[in-house]
Amino acid sequence: MKKRKHSIVVIDDEESMRDSCRMILEKDGFLTETAENGSSGLTKVEKIRPDLVLIDLKMPGISGLDVLEKVKKIDSNIIPIVITGYATIESAVEAMKRGAYDILHKPFTPGELRLIIKRGLDRIKLFREAESLRNEKKMIEENFITMVSHQLRSPLVAITQYFEVILGGIAGEVAPRQKDMLVKARTRLNSLLELINDWLDIARMDGGSIVDKLKIVSLEDLINKQVEFLKPYAKKNKVTLSLSSISGSDKALGDSDSLEQVFSNLIRNAIKYNKADGTIKVLIKEEEDYITTEIKDTGIGIREEHIPYLFNQFYRVSRSEDKKQKGSGLGLTIAKKIVDAHNGSIQVTSKPGKGSVFTVQLPKAYNTIT
Amino acid sequence: MENSKAKIMIIDDDPDFRDAVTSILQSALYEVVTAPNPEEGKKKILKEKPDLILLDIMMDSLFDGFSLCNAIKTSKEFSSVKNTPVIFVSAVKEMTGSRFQFKGEDQGLSSPDDYIDKPVKPDDLFSRIERLLKK
Repeated sequence: MKKRKHSIVVIDDEESMRDSCRMILEKDGFLTETAENGSSGLTKVEKIRPDLVLIDLKMPGISGLDVLEKVKKIDSNIIPIVITGYATIESAVEAMKRGAYDILHKPFTPGELRLIIKRGLDRIKLFREAESLRNEKKMIEENFITMVSHQLRSPLVAITQYFEVILGGIAGEVAPRQKDMLVKARTRLNSLLELINDWLDIARMDGGSIVDKLKIVSLEDLINKQVEFLKPYAKKNKVTLSLSSISGSDKALGDSDSLEQVFSNLIRNAIKYNKADGTIKVLIKEEEDYITTEIKDTGIGIREEHIPYLFNQFYRVSRSEDKKQKGSGLGLTIAKKIVDAHNGSIQVTSKPGKGSVFTVQLPKAYNTIT
Repeated sequence: MENSKAKIMIIDDDPDFRDAVTSILQSALYEVVTAPNPEEGKKKILKEKPDLILLDIMMDSLFDGFSLCNAIKTSKEFSSVKNTPVIFVSAVKEMTGSRFQFKGEDQGLSSPDDYIDKPVKPDDLFSRIERLLKK
């Protein structure tokens, strides 16, 4: 950090005090301003934003203790040191209570003044170091997503791009057996990309960035969109998917991008873990302060002992019948994090062999909020 | 314009990505020029006057692509090529869900003519290019 001159404001009604403090401090290379009473002192503090303020407790006009409090209000980083001629335990305690960093007893020697100022400035230094460490940490955290995207994704994307070239026959003919292997390799690469995406989603959720983006969202529109989008996937799995009923208001308070992801993850799961000729019914209903959405499937269900862990990261129910099911194992974790960030809830009930119901409750939007 | 001879410029900092996409484009008989960063991209746009630009959003900094696109569309320096269609190519959209979509617009930056995710599918890329070249 660049070294700069520290600034100090001395507030004291005694002229000789002000002058001697100024002499000592300027000699030591501090930018020094003085004021003869509380109000003009505060004006100077406001203007200069000094590192340190020396305040005489006993002054006409605003009392030193009030000045002290006001200095803390102007900038809590300023170090206030109280000068007092009637050092009693009571006044010292009171000053410390109101935020004084230290107390200097009159009369004091230049050495005492220097020592106390040095201690105050050391504290500022420590504080600034801590702050810059905090900022650095924050920057690393904020850039982490960007970094991961670039450093981890870029090579994968480049590799996959070559696969597109080769599998597209652009770089010459590929023998069927080779093509078969390359297609499998590409599938694995795509799941790896998906895993990184999901993981980044979680990192972003933990940053808590969605809370300030809440708006009125029509769950009917939002879920309809997801249902339409996922119908081809459902059909491929021989599953019937529909938004089957809506009762009452469908207006929730939420961030539509994140909520799309919640319902997309839940519906995808319902398709993935369904049985051939199964159905998925989505219901939306108004319930007191919440809009409740239920996603009912007729799938393989989840055994009770798995339910408490279902929303944990990388938890995947191991069952012989769904060995073929692959996913990052993060879909439900993401859904829960998003719903939690909305102050909502997500629950599941299930009967093995019969199916599961995932219930999402989101805060209802009232018309007064726009 | 004869589409099969259109000149496409790829601005992307990943050499393998440029290589792969160059092959894809050449297979459809496009002429291809490339630049590895926004600075070189700027020079080459003026020199080569491509018919279409494939621009990576995130190169050295998160907003490289946004600012270059904005410069092409609005700055005096690029007034001779300001109507060149720009397609953003990035892995970022996928990464952040749909949240990232054209956040540049929120900051008053010009938006691209289209957007395609990395890795690009050859057929998808061709159809987007054709659509813009026909305009």
